[in-house]
Amino acid sequence: MGEFTAKWGPLMWQALIETFQMTLISLVFSVIIGMALGVLLVLTRPNALFANKFVYNVLNILVNIVRSVPFIILLFFIIPFTKAIVGTIIGVKGVIVPLVVYTSPYIARLMESALLEVDPGVIEAYTAMGVKRRKIVWNVLIREARPAIILGLTIATVSLIGATAMAGLVGAGGLGDLAYRYGHIQYEVEVMYATVFILIILVQGIQSLGNYFASKLKRD
Amino acid sequence: MIQLRNVVKTFDTKQGVVEAVKDVNLHVKKGEIHGVIGYSGAGKSTLIRCVNLLERPTSGEVIINGIELTSLKLPQLREVRQNIGMIFQSFNLLKTATVFENITIPLRLLNISNEEANERAERYLEIVGLSERKNAYPSQLSGGQKQRVAIARALSQEPEVLLSDESTSALDPETTDSILDLLLKINKELGITILLITHEMNVIQKICDHVYVMERGQVIEEGTTIELFTKPKNPTTQKFLNAVSQRQLAPALIEQLTLEGYILRLTFVGDATGDPLIASLTEKFHVKPNILSANIIELKNGIVGNLVIHLEGQRDEKIVQYLTANGVYVEEVL
Repeated sequence: MGEFTAKWGPLMWQALIETFQMTLISLVFSVIIGMALGVLLVLTRPNALFANKFVYNVLNILVNIVRSVPFIILLFFIIPFTKAIVGTIIGVKGVIVPLVVYTSPYIARLMESALLEVDPGVIEAYTAMGVKRRKIVWNVLIREARPAIILGLTIATVSLIGATAMAGLVGAGGLGDLAYRYGHIQYEVEVMYATVFILIILVQGIQSLGNYFASKLKRD
Repeated sequence: MIQLRNVVKTFDTKQGVVEAVKDVNLHVKKGEIHGVIGYSGAGKSTLIRCVNLLERPTSGEVIINGIELTSLKLPQLREVRQNIGMIFQSFNLLKTATVFENITIPLRLLNISNEEANERAERYLEIVGLSERKNAYPSQLSGGQKQRVAIARALSQEPEVLLSDESTSALDPETTDSILDLLLKINKELGITILLITHEMNVIQKICDHVYVMERGQVIEEGTTIELFTKPKNPTTQKFLNAVSQRQLAPALIEQLTLEGYILRLTFVGDATGDPLIASLTEKFHVKPNILSANIIELKNGIVGNLVIHLEGQRDEKIVQYLTANGVYVEEVL
C-alpha cells in the first residue's frame, strides 16, 4: 500500500487536481449558460410569462442539435470554435470550451424540467397580485424550483466528471486519462482500480451533497 | 365597483374556435358579494379570470372602480391588479416558504417596506385565525388552513375587490362553511367587494347578495339571491336549487296526487310564515291542504320558505289569488 502510494500518489494527486479544475471551471460557465437557456426555454414557451414562439423554437432546436453530438465527437467537431475562443485546443484550457458546450444544453434541459414542475397556479397568483414578471421569475419560479434545480445540477456535475475522462485525448490529463493511459495501455491494473475507486467516492460525495441540500430546501 | 360589459372570450383550439364567454354583463356594487354559479365548462372560470385580465377578453369592457382595464398598459394594469385580491381552488401558495413568508414575500415584491410587510402579515394572519401557524410550511397545513393563508395573502394587499375562483371547491362541507364565514366577515368588517364563482348552491345561499347562473358561456338567469330562490325561471337554476332544497317530488307521487286534486308549491320570504296561512285556507275556503314537503332556507339576506301542498278537487283561482295577495309565490306542480 505504502509502496503504491509512494509510486503513484503524486501522479494521482495531480490527476485529481486536473479533474477538479476541469469540472469546476466548466461547471461555472455551464451553469451560467445552461440556467439562462433553461429559464429562457421555460419563459418563452407557449402560454408562459414571456411567450415567444420564434425564440423558443430556435433555442429548442439548438439545444437538441448540440445534445445529439457525443462528447468525444464534439471535442474535435468544434476545434475551430475552441481555437477562436481560448486560442488553443490542448490542455485544460482547450478542453473547457467543449466541456461547456457539451454540458450547457444538458443543464438547460435539466433546468427546463425543474422549472416546469413549478405549479403554474402560483405564478398566476403572483401575476394577479400585480407583481412584475421579472420578479416572479426570480422569487417564484426559480425559488420554488430550487430543490429540483440542485438535483439537476448534481446530475450534470456527475456527467461532467464523466466527460472529463475524455479530456486526455487533447492532453488535459485528469483521472480518466490516468486510468486509461496507465491502467489500460500499460497494464497497471492497480492504477485503474485506484482511479475508479476515487471516482466512485467523488460521485457518491457529490450526489449525497446534492441530495442533502435539495431535501433541506424541499418542504413537502 | 366591478363592471363587465359585453365581455366575450373565444379560444382558438384545434377543434376550432370555442366561445367560452358570450356577451356577459355583470355589475357588482361596492360592498356587495356577487356569485356566478354554473356547472364545470360553463365558462365561469374564464369569466372571473377576465376581471383581472389573467385572461384578456376578446371583446368587451372590464371596469374596476371606474377604470377600464383592457386599454391599460402593463404597468398601469399591475397597479390596478394590486387593488384586486384573488383566491383560488388550489390555494397557490409557495411550497418552499412558511405561512408568514407567503404573505411577506409578495408584499416585498410590491415594494412595501419590511416592517410594513411584517406588520401586515401579523395583522391579517390574526384576522384569518392562523397566527399560531405562522412558521409552518403549507404542506403541514390542512386545506382550510391553506385557504386561510391565501385569504390573508390577498387581504394583505389591502384590496377593495376580492375575486374567489372556486375557493371552497376543494374543501369538505364543514371547512367550506368556516371559509364562507370568513369571507362574510371580511366583506362586512373590511368592506371588501367580492365576486366569486362556484358550482355549489350553498355558497350562493350563505354569502351572496346577487347571483348569475351561467351555462354555455352565457348568463341565463340573474337576480338577487332571494329572487332566485323564490322564483327560479330557468331549468338549470331549478336544478341547482334542488340540490339545497329538495324541491322535487317523485314523479309517481305527483301523478297519483294530481288524479284527485292539484299540487301547489308555495314560496315565501321572511315573515310570511306558512302555518297560519295554511290554517286560514281551511277557514276561508273549507279545504284541507295536505303538506307534502316543507323546508326553510336561510339566505344571507333573509329566509325563504318552501311548502308543497296538495289540495283536493279542481284548482281554485281564489285560493291562488288569496295566497299571492299574502306575499306568497305560487306555482302549480304538474
